[in-house]
Amino acid sequence: MGKLFTFVGLGVVLALALLLAVVAGDYGPWYFAWIVGTVMIVLIAGCGAVMYDAQHENGTGEI
Amino acid sequence: MELYVVLKVIWAVLLGVLLSGLAVMVGMDMGVGSLLRFVGRNDVERRVALNIIGPHWDGNQVWFILGGGAIFAAFPTLYATSFSVFYVVMILLLFSMIMRPVAFEYRSKVDAGKWRGTWDWAFLISGAVPMIVYGAAFGNVMQGVGYHYGWDGQYYQDESFIWYLLNPFALMCGVMSLALSIQQGGTMLMLRGEQPIYGRARKAAIGGGLVGGILFLAGGLWLGHLTGFAYTSAVDPNAAATPLTGPSVAPVVGAWMHNYASYPLLWVLPALGLVGMFGAALLNLAGKPVLAWWLGAIGWIGAIFTTGASMFPFLMPSTTNPSQSLTVWNASGSEYNLGWMLFFALVFTPIIICYTSWCFYVMRGKVKASAVAHDEHSY
Amino acid sequence: MPLIDPSVVDLSRLQFALTALYHFLFVPLTLGMTFLLAAMETVYVITGKQIYKDMTQFWGKLFAINFAIGVATGLTMEFEFGTNWSMYSHFVGDVFGTPLAIEGLMAFFMESTFIGLMFFGWDRLSRPGHLAVTYLTALGSNLSALWILVANGFMQNPQGASFNPDTMRMEFNSFLKLVFSEDAQAKFVHTSIAGFVTGALFVMGISAFYILRKQHRELAARSFRMAALFGIISSLAVVTLGDALGRLDYLVQPTKIAAIEGLWQDSAANGSAASAPWLLFALPDQAKQTNYAEIGVPYVLDPLIAHSFNTNIPGLISLEQQAGPRIAKGIVALNALQAYGKDHDAAALATFKANESDMGYGFLAQRYAPNQDLNLITPANQGAIIAQAEKDTIPNVPVTFWSFRIMMALGFFFVGLFAFAAFYSLKNQLERHPLLLKLCVWSIPLPILACEFGWITAEAGRQPWSVYGYLPTFQAASSHGLGYMVFSLIGFALLYSAFIAAELYLMFKFARLGPQPHHAAAPEATPAPMFATPAE
Repeated sequence: MGKLFTFVGLGVVLALALLLAVVAGDYGPWYFAWIVGTVMIVLIAGCGAVMYDAQHENGTGEI
Repeated sequence: MELYVVLKVIWAVLLGVLLSGLAVMVGMDMGVGSLLRFVGRNDVERRVALNIIGPHWDGNQVWFILGGGAIFAAFPTLYATSFSVFYVVMILLLFSMIMRPVAFEYRSKVDAGKWRGTWDWAFLISGAVPMIVYGAAFGNVMQGVGYHYGWDGQYYQDESFIWYLLNPFALMCGVMSLALSIQQGGTMLMLRGEQPIYGRARKAAIGGGLVGGILFLAGGLWLGHLTGFAYTSAVDPNAAATPLTGPSVAPVVGAWMHNYASYPLLWVLPALGLVGMFGAALLNLAGKPVLAWWLGAIGWIGAIFTTGASMFPFLMPSTTNPSQSLTVWNASGSEYNLGWMLFFALVFTPIIICYTSWCFYVMRGKVKASAVAHDEHSY
Repeated sequence: MPLIDPSVVDLSRLQFALTALYHFLFVPLTLGMTFLLAAMETVYVITGKQIYKDMTQFWGKLFAINFAIGVATGLTMEFEFGTNWSMYSHFVGDVFGTPLAIEGLMAFFMESTFIGLMFFGWDRLSRPGHLAVTYLTALGSNLSALWILVANGFMQNPQGASFNPDTMRMEFNSFLKLVFSEDAQAKFVHTSIAGFVTGALFVMGISAFYILRKQHRELAARSFRMAALFGIISSLAVVTLGDALGRLDYLVQPTKIAAIEGLWQDSAANGSAASAPWLLFALPDQAKQTNYAEIGVPYVLDPLIAHSFNTNIPGLISLEQQAGPRIAKGIVALNALQAYGKDHDAAALATFKANESDMGYGFLAQRYAPNQDLNLITPANQGAIIAQAEKDTIPNVPVTFWSFRIMMALGFFFVGLFAFAAFYSLKNQLERHPLLLKLCVWSIPLPILACEFGWITAEAGRQPWSVYGYLPTFQAASSHGLGYMVFSLIGFALLYSAFIAAELYLMFKFARLGPQPHHAAAPEATPAPMFATPAE
């Protein structure tokens, strides 16, 4: 039951995201670019941090 | 009734709702600011008092900003004229409104008596001045303001602001507004504070409620002898919204009681106000701050809607050219605009209420002196 | 009828510019840092490593110092529309006020409510719960910028409203046109991302300071890495959007783009091919309508602005000449409008409708009419009045030209700085390049400077209009006296100086202090599982 809710919840989020993408892409290409771009910027910055942790796992000192 | 008229009336009511929300929520924070130096006798006590509203003042302040934005959009001409006519008062209000957020954020960041003492004064000023101004503005507007319009809609001021400030009725409204804010702020301090803050806040809250109630009663008796304004020719509520052309208006003594004479049901509003104010004082006396907070809020709502009901449809009458007085009918936005605004208000107001309540729920419970001293994020 | 006092207008403009620029010292950092904080906290929630929580909290503390004053001074702008720009508020409030009200409802409430939880809710919310709050704060502050720039977009390129002669104001008629105005779109993304650059350089610079001093290395190195990556993409995006805005200005605000480029003659003036240079340096002379000491790259102006090789970009001299006939028609329009206002005469309305598109140009002439009354313009004095008004139709060229160039040079500098910073951070060679680190520290205030110059470019370039083509700034001001302005200017000067002093003092104090070790009493020593419920 819990899983079903999760799937339904994620499905709704997905549908909303698609709707938003279609509307924003049609009427507001720059708005759409902002949404996609911001998500990307945040994720890439986050990946940089994870990468840093991986690079320094064996204790190399240089930063 | 035509859709446009319905929208105008709805926005007039929403204006009242916003002004009430502002008075209850911002007034509460301002009350705490005014009381800060009196309920907190040492630094830790003052910090506890600040942290009681710490997580909420910022959200509450938005009522103020939203109030401004809504008047701008829903009653553009009222916004344009009232802010300019009350220039000096508005700028003073603005100064104290910008002093407050900074005081919250900066006061406890430096551990020096002089620094903190200075910001404590800033709290007193930025708490008391805006509330007096808020009330006095109601008082002034009820008596009318001197202005008229040029052919293109530019306003021209006919009187110096000094004459608005120095008048007993407006000052009385200002004191009443301050008293109600102290009642609401004191009640909040009781809700989340412990002794000795609790006891001091309780005294202040009871006093605030009693003074507010008595002045409200006095104001009501005074109102019948004030010069109000009334239409002297036929009115078309559906007309294009412009003060430049329209029905003629004349000053009439006691006109602000006409609506109550025509619709006796309106007497419920002042009754609510009185019950709220005195009831909250009684409940605080009995040590029940939760109920007292809600009754205090009802007191504010009663007072603001009483004013609105007695003036309706007038928003800001002109003493020098009464026929150009701003009313709900002639100062509103266009039908299209009011419609869209209503749509956004209907969608977002419930959401705002939900997350604001959730925020209060998450931060519920008493604020302890030990926690304030240890949490590096506290004010 | 009382006259509008030019010095009141000038002081109102000065006050608005100063308070807006002051407000804008703090806004970009808020726009960018909220998302950078969200990125840090995301890593914390996913990896569960305490260091990322420390980072979020430490940078959050610096952010809070900045946030408070940004919120406080934003209120001033809203007030000033009513207090100082009364005619403006009356004239466009029906369409301009709406995005401001929606901003309050949709964005500002969200940002302000959740920021309280963001600072106070660490121990009361689950980790994903708190992360959600941080994202909502970031989204709220940027949505807030969105609605403000939708409003600003209307001033730059009025869409979604039309003039109603019965109410003497612009009335809202298309929500979609207003919100999806190209100017609003590009301006929002440009501004928001410029904020991202500001936030990234702030975090990167202070981290570089710690790395140089070999303090707080764990926190500084990670923060540097995240900020550098955050910044490199953002700075590239800012440049892209800047180009989009330039093209847009060419399409809808010809006087602004010509002033930005110092273009007095048409770009295709000498011959059929557009050969005008893009000026790297010039000293524009407004009175003589020419530039001194020009240094430029020939042939590239057209492709840069119009994205084409053979379009003529009109120069300021011909734009000024084109305004003359429009002013004459505008005077007719306004006189007809005034006549219509008196007795709703149908013939007057028809005359007005025929000349409506030039109404705003009539307002430009009103300033120079005898007694500022358009009825007193006669065939005898009309020529002189139009000549005066014509001069007003182009913005201040030296100011627009140079603020644009400073902003742009800084923009490209940031791309380079972030590129090097990201490169050496990814290779873990930062400590071998102390000069780069020092440059990062000294560059902290530069994005704020670039944002300020961006504001000046956009708003000085919009002059003489407050609403482009419809309402001149001169006509938009309140009609009150000089004393009021002196009072408020002195007040703002005193209050704002005190605030900036306090802000800088605290910012330096806490940045120097660095992240503090936790109090022994602090709870949550053991990381809670991912979806833990809040501890009471």
